[in-house]
Amino acid sequence: MNRKFILILFGLLLFATFSFAQKMIKGKVTDGADGSGIPGVSVMLKGVNGVGASTQPDGSYAINVPSNGTTLIFSYLGYITKEVMIANKTEINVILESDELSLNEVMVVAYGTVKKSSYTGSAVSVKLDNDLPKTSFENALSGKVPGVQVTQSSGQAGSTSSIRIRGIGSMNASNEPLYVIDGVPVVSGNAGQISDYTYATNNVMNTINPSDIETITILKDAAASSLYGSRAANGVVIITTKKGKVGKPTISVKSSVGLTPSWATDNYEAASTQENTNMLYRVFHDLNTGAGKSDAVANTDALRRLNGKFNKHGYNFSTSGTGLSENVIITGLTDGMENRDGIYFDWEDALFRTAVYQTNDIAVSGGNENTTYYSSLSYTKDQSRVKVNEFDRISGRIKIGQKVGKFVEFDTNVNFARTGQSGYNDTRITGSNYYYQSRNLLWGFYWPTDYKSGQPFTSRYGSLAQNSVYYDNEWENSSVTKRITANETLTVKFLPELNLKSILSYDNTQVTDDVYYSGLHFNGSATKGSVNALTTNINKLVSSTTLNFNKTFNKHTIGLLGGFEAEENKTDFQRSTGTDLPSSALHTVSTAGVTNATAYFWGNSIVSLLSRAEYDYGQKYFASASFRRDGSSRLDPRVRWGNFWSVAGAWKITGEDFMKDANTISNLRLRASYGTNGTTPSANFGWRSLTGYGAKYLSQAGGSITQIADPNLTWETNYSTNIALEFGLFKNRLTGSVEYFNRDSKDLLQDVPTSMVTGFSSTLKNIGEMNNRGIELDLGGDIIVNNGWRWSASANASFIKSKITKLSEGKDIIWYDPTGGDARAKYIYKEGQPTYSFYGIEWAGVNPADGKNVWYKNGAPAAALDFEYNGRPATGNFKNVDPIILGDASPKVYGGLNTDVEYKGISLGLNFTYKIGGKIYDGAFKDVADDGYYWERIRAKEYNDNMWTPERTTGSLPRLSGFDLEDAIQYSSRQMHDASFMRLKNVTLAYRIPKQIISKVGASNARVYFNGSNLLTVSKYKIADPEVNSYGTRGWETPFGKTYTFGLEFSF
Amino acid sequence: MKKRNIFLLGLLIIGFSSCKKFLDIKPSNSGDSDLAIQTPADAQVMVNGIMRSMTSSDYYGRNFLMYGDAKGGDFTIFSQGRGLDNLYTFNHSATTGSYVGFWSQIYFSILQTNNLLENIAKLETAGATGFSALKGQALTARAMMYFDLVRLYGKSYDDNKASFGVPIVLTKLSSDAQPLRATVEENYTQILKDLNDATSLLAKTKTKGYINYYANLAMKARVYLYMKDNVNALKNAEDIINAAGVYTLYSNANWVNSWATEAGSESIFELGVVPLENDLTTSSLGFYHRRKAHGGSTALGWFGASDYFLARLGQDPTDVRWGVMSFDETSSSRMGSLYKYSGSTALVGDGKATPTAVNIKVIRLSEIYLIAAEASLVSNPGQAVIYLNAIRKRSPNLAPATTSTISIDMILDERSKELYGEGHRFFDMMRLNKSIEYNDELGSIPATNRTKTINRSFNKTRLPIAQSEINANPGLKAQQNEGY
Repeated sequence: MNRKFILILFGLLLFATFSFAQKMIKGKVTDGADGSGIPGVSVMLKGVNGVGASTQPDGSYAINVPSNGTTLIFSYLGYITKEVMIANKTEINVILESDELSLNEVMVVAYGTVKKSSYTGSAVSVKLDNDLPKTSFENALSGKVPGVQVTQSSGQAGSTSSIRIRGIGSMNASNEPLYVIDGVPVVSGNAGQISDYTYATNNVMNTINPSDIETITILKDAAASSLYGSRAANGVVIITTKKGKVGKPTISVKSSVGLTPSWATDNYEAASTQENTNMLYRVFHDLNTGAGKSDAVANTDALRRLNGKFNKHGYNFSTSGTGLSENVIITGLTDGMENRDGIYFDWEDALFRTAVYQTNDIAVSGGNENTTYYSSLSYTKDQSRVKVNEFDRISGRIKIGQKVGKFVEFDTNVNFARTGQSGYNDTRITGSNYYYQSRNLLWGFYWPTDYKSGQPFTSRYGSLAQNSVYYDNEWENSSVTKRITANETLTVKFLPELNLKSILSYDNTQVTDDVYYSGLHFNGSATKGSVNALTTNINKLVSSTTLNFNKTFNKHTIGLLGGFEAEENKTDFQRSTGTDLPSSALHTVSTAGVTNATAYFWGNSIVSLLSRAEYDYGQKYFASASFRRDGSSRLDPRVRWGNFWSVAGAWKITGEDFMKDANTISNLRLRASYGTNGTTPSANFGWRSLTGYGAKYLSQAGGSITQIADPNLTWETNYSTNIALEFGLFKNRLTGSVEYFNRDSKDLLQDVPTSMVTGFSSTLKNIGEMNNRGIELDLGGDIIVNNGWRWSASANASFIKSKITKLSEGKDIIWYDPTGGDARAKYIYKEGQPTYSFYGIEWAGVNPADGKNVWYKNGAPAAALDFEYNGRPATGNFKNVDPIILGDASPKVYGGLNTDVEYKGISLGLNFTYKIGGKIYDGAFKDVADDGYYWERIRAKEYNDNMWTPERTTGSLPRLSGFDLEDAIQYSSRQMHDASFMRLKNVTLAYRIPKQIISKVGASNARVYFNGSNLLTVSKYKIADPEVNSYGTRGWETPFGKTYTFGLEFSF
Repeated sequence: MKKRNIFLLGLLIIGFSSCKKFLDIKPSNSGDSDLAIQTPADAQVMVNGIMRSMTSSDYYGRNFLMYGDAKGGDFTIFSQGRGLDNLYTFNHSATTGSYVGFWSQIYFSILQTNNLLENIAKLETAGATGFSALKGQALTARAMMYFDLVRLYGKSYDDNKASFGVPIVLTKLSSDAQPLRATVEENYTQILKDLNDATSLLAKTKTKGYINYYANLAMKARVYLYMKDNVNALKNAEDIINAAGVYTLYSNANWVNSWATEAGSESIFELGVVPLENDLTTSSLGFYHRRKAHGGSTALGWFGASDYFLARLGQDPTDVRWGVMSFDETSSSRMGSLYKYSGSTALVGDGKATPTAVNIKVIRLSEIYLIAAEASLVSNPGQAVIYLNAIRKRSPNLAPATTSTISIDMILDERSKELYGEGHRFFDMMRLNKSIEYNDELGSIPATNRTKTINRSFNKTRLPIAQSEINANPGLKAQQNEGY
């Protein structure tokens, strides 16, 4: 066997040597950007296996080629592969251009790729910056793409950002874009059902390793997206993963670690224990004097109450006088094991830590003319600042492309990921949201141990907080997502002009959620412990077949596409619950004394026909049209089918003769489009009138009507217009675009309030209309390209207005912030008004005479004790005012500023995001600035320093009263603030180690970098972090931190 | 080439022919409403659903009973902000503190009864049989629901029966319906019609957790008493009392323990509560009554007995009913916490895995005796004394009532002691036009929305129609309860 092989090889060599004369070709391969030699570039002879060489550290090479060889192929990861004809040359020097430029040229769009210069739709392609310490890719888009708003609302580990493309598209159905990965629409958003138990969720997008992503394309207008029909009204995010390139195997390794020692901004910093004690004293004192009692009585009662509340924690209270503004003297009690005199427990330290983020990636890729491969494995771990909150992910991907014969090509793409998340909770839950507890609930007087016995303090604290130090061991919540995706793509090239592409995709996401409370835990004590195990298994099957025809004759280029697509989604859900747990060591349902389970499934399906025609004349005039017909199981059979279409055109003005002499203008192109797309109702069975069986009674089945439906429920439809001007000046050194869009959304699904006498409070109908319009500006260019220096900068701005144009019978709809589960802000949908209009009563300020809240009447009937304030009718009684629209949550303009400086391998990148205009409604500050007696809670320093007191009559916040809260329980403009801010989202300093040095250790590329996230924030609103969710509200979500990341990346 | 085209065409055809089926995806945990009720077994499942909906926390599961007690003067709160304290302080307005859950939950339950009754009517018209008892249960349940609604939103029957009660709906409505309020009198007419229609349909056997013939009579006795129709109230009450061997009063010896068992000998109608089903655990009625932090740090000590109630029960320190009371958060000697809904003061529950899964006793025989006493007080004081003493003997040291000592106040005091925590006190004070005094001093409660003493002339003794309902049903704006 062995000998045979050697013989054959020997024979082949002889054959090769003797059949053709050999010649030697020499040369050097250099980098187009800085002119330096590139080592390790693969140099191959086209069409002949086994003839090849690679470049030396200085980029030089030498190769022996047979005399009949015609072409050399130069390829290297990250650069555009170049083919050079040999002809008679013996020296061939090659300049390779970085791949980034090529991505600008060709981009992935709906059902194919397109040259950017000939595209008629509105789409932006982005290459990811993978230096960011983020578990999900969305953040890398922040501030990069005009018209795209990326909002992150929580700093907890595993949280993901949401993407809004061109405003708000729906009231009831989704505002999320459609995500398409490698040609297949995928499951996105929250996958598990644990939110029913903890209000926390995990996002399936976290299963994608950002390092596997090659590019992301955002489709914005109808021309770009309507080929995705009924799901594309909110735009489309197309993710293309990396694939192998022809050449030697490349192994790339990347490792980074990020530390977050502090928050990015102040966040409702609490007043000191002394200040809070004085404030609580003030409350009790006022409670008495307000009821007509004397200072002496008030003082005695206030001290009695303070002692009653805090004696059990080892503290005693006294005052030297009896007034309202006494400084309370706090002393330690000496009758216990500990004397806590002068010391307070540091809950900040007990609940938070320096967050650590680590990620390690390894990827191997390469290939030859017939086969390419890419495989990767990645591990990421994120331990957030909250001590119990962690996230980790392990993911792997294999992508193989194989040519079979001349016509057929198979692409296999398999991805596996497992993400785990634990200990999360971002809502106003007194027992387990540590951020909330640290700001509003935990007094320094509270200790994890009893001062008398030294034993754990297990009772609930007076503020309703629980002793987390003790209870952390008595509960668990975790969510594990396992996802496997397998895509098989078959491409058949019948003719150079005609090909068939068929994709079969299977996407399985399984989410396993566990929530456990021991019998000692306050949530488990009533049931002697409880455990919930939930499994959600999402199966998605997509089959998509398209036929492509492309032909150029003379100056005409035609592209035609026709296709068929079917998609089935099915989710199996199982929950088992156990209570009465026998042992604290066993956290499973199987050991429970009482068990209960449910299992069922739901799903939907879509069948579609799609087609597109494109035409261009001489790369000067472009036209395109698309049509898609969708049928959805989410609608009644009578109204199940919908048509979605678009038309578009573009004109390259610089292609005209009259522009030939305009030297400064190197590119000018005008394009326009119009078309429709849709949004399906969120509910799978919204059109059916249903009887459900969730009403078990005495362990028997129980039924009830759960839904009275409107069978005419149909799609929401968007009608979008887009007009854009693209330009390039000074040989395209400065490029940019101005884009106008108008998006009318009709037949919007609305939960129309119904009389509750019918049994239900609302019913879903297609009734509303909404308009989003705006202008997007994008400008970028190279400011300096000189002597190895390169300084480039870009800026973008999106001016978007969103408003409600029609409602059912013109009736206003009042609604509440759906995030966080705490209805923290109130909104109104009103015809002609901005979509996210905060609604409530208008707070005028503080009455300097008595320190009480003042509200403007705003047309409410005159009542006793009304007065004028700032020249407007006002009152001190919130019941005597009318609510109005207080402000708009959407910014006037948002965008980003980016700049990169590069010199000899050292680069510095700055990435700013900004938001100007719009309002924040702060649903958390009202908790820490209570102006009345609600509970034994701590207040913010901000309130302590600014409240009205008899000594400080200019205080901007109301006086502390001993009676009911007034403003804090209303939705008033006191909690509304200017949302404008600018943030240095990322700064990245990187050094690419010269190839001459690293090639000595066998590496072909090496880079070290430092990234800083959220290092600088400038904002009008300073009490807490100004970066909030898309509804413009802040609650008790974990804030963002300043993260310092150090990374190392090299490839062989 | 040709072969490939044929293959492609075939693929498309296969795709289309199976399209219809491919797009027909049905839910797996719900069925089509129009097909849900076909047989008596189906109807039984719907009756289960009706009973379950009545155990909601917005209804008999907690808030409805809390409403009748928190406002009645026998209870007080230790501190504001713990939950449901607005009931006690009468902090109600159409926009905040409207307790719209009563309105929405009870009408949701009414929808379920209407749906079942309509379907049964349809099936019976088509000749199907076997639905009588189920129909009787649905009718009686619907009457109870309207009775509860009119007590929450309307004036007392003898106060002004021509004033607004609640909208009457007897069919499954379409979502755009906007029914307006009927009068209190019309509500009572409908309640009696449903109750009378149901009586002959119901079985006399006892079935735990469901409505039988006697539960129907008991409801009638209660409704007639509210209408001051003593003749009918007495007749229905006596029909139950005299039914040989069906229900018997608890003896003094087993009264306390009766709270630790389901379906006792007095229980005429009780709603079943089962762990992991409708057990409200840490937000259950049991938690709302018990002492702060007893049986879990989330027990906030919501409600406790007022000084007035403790004084009343304290007329006899040996009263057996002290057995369900324990000390409260104010001191170890003030027996202000109630444990009827925890089984016992040791939290034994009523025999299920959790001590909060305790059945809700909606009507029990003691109440029927007290109804009989009240209804016969004028017409037959001698008989009234017998009925009252059957309950009053639970205070062994108190002298039995005699025809010369018996009075409406004595009966009312006995109702207070016996039915404490069972959701009656406030409604009793309203229907008898009594003043209610609140024990605000205990927790230094600055009640700014009512005076210390109120009576039924105070507008907030009736809940407001919620603004959200008025927004959806604008005709109700003109029918809002006065003062809101």
